[in-house]
Amino acid sequence: MPENKTMMLEVQNLEKSFAGKPALKGVSFAVEEGEIFGLLGHNGAGKSTTLGILLGMVAPTKGEAYIDGISIQKNRSEALHRVGAIFESPGLYDYLSGYQNLQLLTSYSGGVSKAAIDEVVLRVEMDDRIHSKVGTYSHGMRQRLALAQALLPEPKVLLLDEPTDGLDPEGIKWFRDFILGLRKERGMTVLFNSHLLGEVEQMCDRVVILQEGQKVFQGGREDLAEDHLVLHLDLEPTELRASLAQEFGGQAEGHKLILPKTCDPAQLVQRAVAQGGQVREIRPVKRSLEDLYLEFSRKVTR
Amino acid sequence: MTFLTQLRGELTKLFARRRTYVGYAVFLIFELILLVTFQIDSVRSQQEEFMVQNGLAADKYFSSLTVTFMVMAFSLFLLGSIYFALVSGDIVAKEVEDGNMRMVLARPVTRFRILLLKFISVCIYTITFVIFVGITGYAMAVIALGVDGGMMAFSPKMRLFAVYPEWGPGMLRLVIAALLIGLSMCTISAVGFLFSCMKMKPATATIMALSILFLDMVLQEFPIFKPYEANFITYKMSSWLFAFESHFPWAKLADNFVFLFGLDLSLFAIACVIFQMRDFKT
Repeated sequence: MPENKTMMLEVQNLEKSFAGKPALKGVSFAVEEGEIFGLLGHNGAGKSTTLGILLGMVAPTKGEAYIDGISIQKNRSEALHRVGAIFESPGLYDYLSGYQNLQLLTSYSGGVSKAAIDEVVLRVEMDDRIHSKVGTYSHGMRQRLALAQALLPEPKVLLLDEPTDGLDPEGIKWFRDFILGLRKERGMTVLFNSHLLGEVEQMCDRVVILQEGQKVFQGGREDLAEDHLVLHLDLEPTELRASLAQEFGGQAEGHKLILPKTCDPAQLVQRAVAQGGQVREIRPVKRSLEDLYLEFSRKVTR
Repeated sequence: MTFLTQLRGELTKLFARRRTYVGYAVFLIFELILLVTFQIDSVRSQQEEFMVQNGLAADKYFSSLTVTFMVMAFSLFLLGSIYFALVSGDIVAKEVEDGNMRMVLARPVTRFRILLLKFISVCIYTITFVIFVGITGYAMAVIALGVDGGMMAFSPKMRLFAVYPEWGPGMLRLVIAALLIGLSMCTISAVGFLFSCMKMKPATATIMALSILFLDMVLQEFPIFKPYEANFITYKMSSWLFAFESHFPWAKLADNFVFLFGLDLSLFAIACVIFQMRDFKT
């Protein structure tokens, strides 16, 4: 059992192989109550396998997953009472109405009252189309219905597998605001698996990066950023950038210099001038999560 | 209560899909064709001649009950099995293929419960389908031939020839036979269900189920297997015909149906084990 009671989700040393090919290699992380946690990684990195294990759909070869302290492998039903899940392209029943879908899916959780369904339907702004067949819904409406079913009956944790994929910018913003609102109102814990790094950046408190089934990073965005100082340096002659970066223990990528965070920019400018360079512009660069993720991925690949 | 609610949901799904009604539509067309065919004099006289050759009064035994028997005996096994295999082969595999199953598996419900609900639904479909064919077949026959008359039941393969001069006893045996056909057809559904729980496409599951059925039928016709034909699944599935024997063969029926029931449960158990061991992910 996990010791920390405030941990809502915890995976311990997860290993999984498919047909002898390892998909997860000893992945561990924990998500605190009320936290929005991002799961990042390229295709085949092990994100969906991790999510599958957390939902009891995939049996790990080794290790264990806990939801609210309850082992999903030992007591799946009890653990899943606390969870709502949404998948990319949610598998809703197209030939039933949205309302019938909600009734049907919630019946597997023991059923919910009509009032509870009506309330959630209003909340996801689907009240005008809820009695239409799901086959007539747009992708955005399907995702809202999927969100509605995930919120019934009152989960403590939401597991979101690429929920905003294929949504238009308005849909993405609506979804993001909705999830952030849920956290604010209900203190809901959210595990967010997405390729859209901008989304993850805007929503998540912390992230885990998976690479070829291994956890290569866990922490907040600041943790990634704090490792380095990134400067935009417009310099003549341009060749000087590489040698300067090397001299200060970093590396150059185009106009960007990625340097140890202890590096003093004033010293850098002095060295550039001393070597005959002409500094036209120097400014700190705030890197996006995407930059950091790609940089991290490259580093791991190397 | 929860189980019944879930079962109702499962049946709602089953009967909300168009493919469920394909069989109903085909059988209605088939019965309509028979209705029209029996209006043709040459066809009618051919049937009547068959009865006369067997020492029966054609006007009495060429009746709605006899025609209903013929519809059920000669069409349900070959034609009906296609739809039972279609629906049962589809019921799990299609939900896995469409991603519905992941939505269900994300809920606090056991895989055994999910399969039990689906298996019961498939059995309900199978039995109600047979009853539907019986009722509509009888209704069409009544339109063509009227209500009255006795019944003649025959099956060379099962060495059966039975006559019921009165409508009442004939109808009773027909109703019992219809229920027994429904139960025996559940075996086809159980085979389809087993394949549906494996990692394969719905169409493949359907074809596999039909292959098993036809393989069984073909093999028992081979001379070397002829002495053992009573041990074949499809032979046991045809044992509902014994319900027409003049002395109701309780022991023989019990023997065959206990076997079929045991086989259905075994197939369900294997399906559960296979499904339990599967991983579901995108």
